[in-house]
Amino acid sequence: MRRGEAKPNRAAVEAPAVSPRVLIAASTAISVALVVVYLAAGGRGYEPTPVADPCAPRAWTAPEDLEETAQQFLLSALDGAACDLGVSRETLAAALPSEETRAEFAAERGIDEVRLEQAVRAGVLRAIDDAVAADALSPLIAEGLRPLAERLPVDEAVALIDDAGSFFDDAGGVIDDLGGLLDQAGDLLP
Amino acid sequence: MVVGLVLADSSVVVLALPEIYRELDVSVTAVTWVLVAFNLVLAISALPAASCARRFGPARVAVAGVALFGIASLACGLAGSIGLLLAARCVQAIGGAAAVCAALELLPSVVGDERRAARVWAGAGALGAALGPGVGGLLTELISWQSIFLVQVPAAIVCAAVLAPAAVAERGRARVAAEVRAAGHPHVAANAALALISAALAAALFLVVLLLIEGWRLTPIAAAAAVTALPIAALAAAPLARRVESTRARAASGAILIAGGLAGLALLPDASIALTLPPQALAGAGLALTLSALTEAALAGRSPQAIHGGWTIASRHAGVVAGLLVLTPVFTADLETERANAEQSGIAALLDSGVDPSSKLDLAQRIADRIEAEGDKVPIVGPAFEPLPEDPAEREATIALRTSIESEIDRAATHAFSSSFLIAAGFALAALLPIALSRRREIEL
Repeated sequence: MRRGEAKPNRAAVEAPAVSPRVLIAASTAISVALVVVYLAAGGRGYEPTPVADPCAPRAWTAPEDLEETAQQFLLSALDGAACDLGVSRETLAAALPSEETRAEFAAERGIDEVRLEQAVRAGVLRAIDDAVAADALSPLIAEGLRPLAERLPVDEAVALIDDAGSFFDDAGGVIDDLGGLLDQAGDLLP
Repeated sequence: MVVGLVLADSSVVVLALPEIYRELDVSVTAVTWVLVAFNLVLAISALPAASCARRFGPARVAVAGVALFGIASLACGLAGSIGLLLAARCVQAIGGAAAVCAALELLPSVVGDERRAARVWAGAGALGAALGPGVGGLLTELISWQSIFLVQVPAAIVCAAVLAPAAVAERGRARVAAEVRAAGHPHVAANAALALISAALAAALFLVVLLLIEGWRLTPIAAAAAVTALPIAALAAAPLARRVESTRARAASGAILIAGGLAGLALLPDASIALTLPPQALAGAGLALTLSALTEAALAGRSPQAIHGGWTIASRHAGVVAGLLVLTPVFTADLETERANAEQSGIAALLDSGVDPSSKLDLAQRIADRIEAEGDKVPIVGPAFEPLPEDPAEREATIALRTSIESEIDRAATHAFSSSFLIAAGFALAALLPIALSRRREIEL
């Protein structure tokens, strides 16, 4: 072959030519098929896990189980405090653990520590109410706890929420003791 | 080789961006300019470079361009600051533009005729662009990001040495300025379609890599392996492209395949590498069909080739720049939204889980700390769960929770790229308009 002369297209010679219409139709069919298959498999179906409304009532489950009760107490307390502050319980959960994170949270939201303390106490009160409603806590114990919760320093309130399991464990003992005292008192009465 | 080497550079650095970002301690916007600057300067300097090739002789300009590209590559590899790196990238693009445009002028004497030369030139450019990310990822992982640039130095020396005899022989045979001025108007439809397709391909090449590395936290080498689907599909589709005479049909079907592939990436049902392969394959096949067809159409029957080749380079890289500038703010904003959603969802999953309630608040804080520490990146929350509890049941619950949160973050990151991929698919579909509107006799060879 002389220099400058076009070389024959070997592939074009050996393989049959593809019709333009066939190529476009096949490309469209493959593209549409991929989109349909991916849509059918759940593509575009992603939604972030919904964040619960903290102001909505929370129904307690299995209040007879101590750990489950502790879980519910924690969630109810977070709901109550978050609802009081108008934030999600998730945002509050990440903010409560330490003094530093609480200060950061308060600064970000433009509130002072007193306001945060009030909200956490409101959360504890709601958790006590929910526990009573679910028969997980004696109304008598709750009556004694409420004035205490209204004066709890924020550290103690967070510790109470965080370690509700121990609290309920002890509270059970307290309930038993109080119950025994009430029985004895009842026997003494004429 | 020259064309492949230079045009691979528009995408080769993409897998190294996270590494450059960390090592040079710069902002995300600044590091994006490592990519944008090269493509922008290449687009701007393509036409002047093509004129130089006509005025001073293509071999001489090609040698000068490759030499400048090699020196600038060395400077990129040795750059210790973002400013120096960006400056070197700009010089690299100027040298690259000269080499690529001059190469088109030289090719007919090597391969036989202008039509074949246009096909080889377009094919080399498409292959370089497709292979770039994979090669860059491999070098970044195995050696360093600097090695991406340093390996180009010997390649440039080889190219310059091969072209040198032709440059010497060319002395005194440069074209007159009048011939340069008589170049005629460019093929508007083909160049407009090239710009739109290139904007779409910017997503296919760059966003997939970002999704794999920044979204799913794959290593550069794993991401490089995953993105080889695109060049493999491009190579596989090349013989098919040769069996279709109509450049318009090739261009249209390629644009449809790229749009389909990008739509598939926007609709990924799960954060899985395997699911990215079919869309990448479609985009790769589309790239092979459409880039060469449009470039050939833009060059067909037009003279001088270097000038019209310069128009195609300018269109392609202007498209890449436009694609990056449009898509980057979209996906970064979506990523930020999804990151916030993932934080809330992750802590919601923790609060509703069966993990010991006394450790929930502490874990919530550690997860939030991890997310904050990662800044604007997709967070790795695994370390927040360390050390794992010793109690077997508690340990199992914690691992299940960690898996659930990591999966949520992966899906959120995947979703964050959806809108960008859909917009890019829109670019590819929009390219059908100039392809369809162009007069049949104009776009056909």
